[in-house]
Amino acid sequence: MSGEKEIYLGYTTDKAVTPFFRQFLEALEKQQLMKSTCKKCKKEYLPPRQYCQKCLTECELTEFTERDAKLISYTVVEFAPESLISRAPYVVAIGEFPSGRRLTAHITNLMDMPKVGMKLKLSFERVSDKQVTYKWQV
Amino acid sequence: MTRRVAVVAGGHGKFGKRYDATMRELCAEAYKPVYDAGITQDRIDATVLSYAASQFTGQGAGSALMADSIGLQEKPHLRVESACATGTASIRAAYGMVASGLYDVMLVLGVEQMNRVSSATATEYMSRAGDMRWEYPYGISFPAFYALMASRYMAEYNMPHDVLSMISVKSHHYGAQNPKAHLPKEVSLEEANNAVPICRPLNLYDCSLITDGAAAVVLVAEPRVKEFTDQPMWIKGMGAGASEMMIQDRPTLTSIPGAKRAAKAAFKMAGLQPKDINMAEVHDCFSIAELIAYEDLGFAEPGKGRQLIENKEVYHTGRIPVNCDGGLKSKGHPLGATGVSMTYEVLSQMRKKAEKPSRQIKDVKYGLVHNVGQSGQFVNVIIYERGW
Repeated sequence: MSGEKEIYLGYTTDKAVTPFFRQFLEALEKQQLMKSTCKKCKKEYLPPRQYCQKCLTECELTEFTERDAKLISYTVVEFAPESLISRAPYVVAIGEFPSGRRLTAHITNLMDMPKVGMKLKLSFERVSDKQVTYKWQV
Repeated sequence: MTRRVAVVAGGHGKFGKRYDATMRELCAEAYKPVYDAGITQDRIDATVLSYAASQFTGQGAGSALMADSIGLQEKPHLRVESACATGTASIRAAYGMVASGLYDVMLVLGVEQMNRVSSATATEYMSRAGDMRWEYPYGISFPAFYALMASRYMAEYNMPHDVLSMISVKSHHYGAQNPKAHLPKEVSLEEANNAVPICRPLNLYDCSLITDGAAAVVLVAEPRVKEFTDQPMWIKGMGAGASEMMIQDRPTLTSIPGAKRAAKAAFKMAGLQPKDINMAEVHDCFSIAELIAYEDLGFAEPGKGRQLIENKEVYHTGRIPVNCDGGLKSKGHPLGATGVSMTYEVLSQMRKKAEKPSRQIKDVKYGLVHNVGQSGQFVNVIIYERGW
């Protein structure tokens, strides 16, 4: 929307920032991770969706407070897509919280190869003026 | 009314970095052997054109260009797209139209020209087949999706990387004997195992190629098959399956749920079991994908796929030969052409037309094609039966 500050998730600048997604990003700037819950069937989504996949009802954003997770799988990207070449090599990891919810993000403080099953902790980072992200720390 | 449908002819161009050609010439190359076999434009009712992505060339309305390049510009045609499974999705679409009686004779023409852009740009375009909101911002490239499966598989089953390299060695062994292959050279286990990393744990030799090329097949309804050939390859079973868009949402990372669904449907329609299959063309976009395919297709139990490659049962003289044309790894992976190329290979093997005896499978009654789109969002499994 014109006049609003540009804001993007992660390390790229995809323009598809809807009002719903913008709410998510503005919360992320305040170091809050939001999930979404269907107003009708109460199904929860992480990352959030605007419309419930099951009953297509609108969802509302509420804070997701779990921080500790374990590593389900990983890759160390050495040959990156054009848009992320300057960050390579980087570690992508799928982490699973005790509730079973999962999130895919970079691990940014590894000194050694990742290991499946290792502990992860969710953290936040302002990548640039326009970019904000969640990330994993070991 | 459902009619039986057969593949009656096929054509295959040279796969590789084809700076000498555009989509026009690649299409002409693939159709020429079909034309030379007597299936001229006037005998074709309609065409399904298979290409996965217009970004690589920038050509819009590519299917019109493809049809025009081979003199089918006045016949009905349409494009089908399912990422890397586009080729078999196109065959599936044509099958439906022929089986239903809408058309008697259809050409399926698959093409992709990927090398008009750099490898980094091609990797960028393919990474956009991940979820643009949640996956793309983290640079999850196409190999990265499969590396996420590989790291999980290797941890869950305590499997070393060498097993994956054995698959690459096999692919290159057969690609070296395929004159149509993009990278027709043998590699040693040591070379494959120690290659430069792309997305750890996957290295260069675990990854398929960014390839230009085209392939074609002709599908005909049963009442008219005899007009075209006395060696028809019947479509005996066909199954399609799908999986979650985001890889983190899958119930498992050591299997592709959509592939299992597709295989189940195909075997049910064919009335066959995995043990009945004499050869398979599987979607080895990455070495781990071939290993997982052995298990998803029921050739091995979960976690036991490695035994097939370790015991060489997937070589051309083994129990279930897999990708004896070099696969996506050595033959190459021009996205929209791949599933059509796999079907061409089954037809060639059934007709004992492999270019060299050293890759000719002895006796193929039933051949299977397994073609996966992106990281498993689309999967087609087709079982073919020798008709003579």
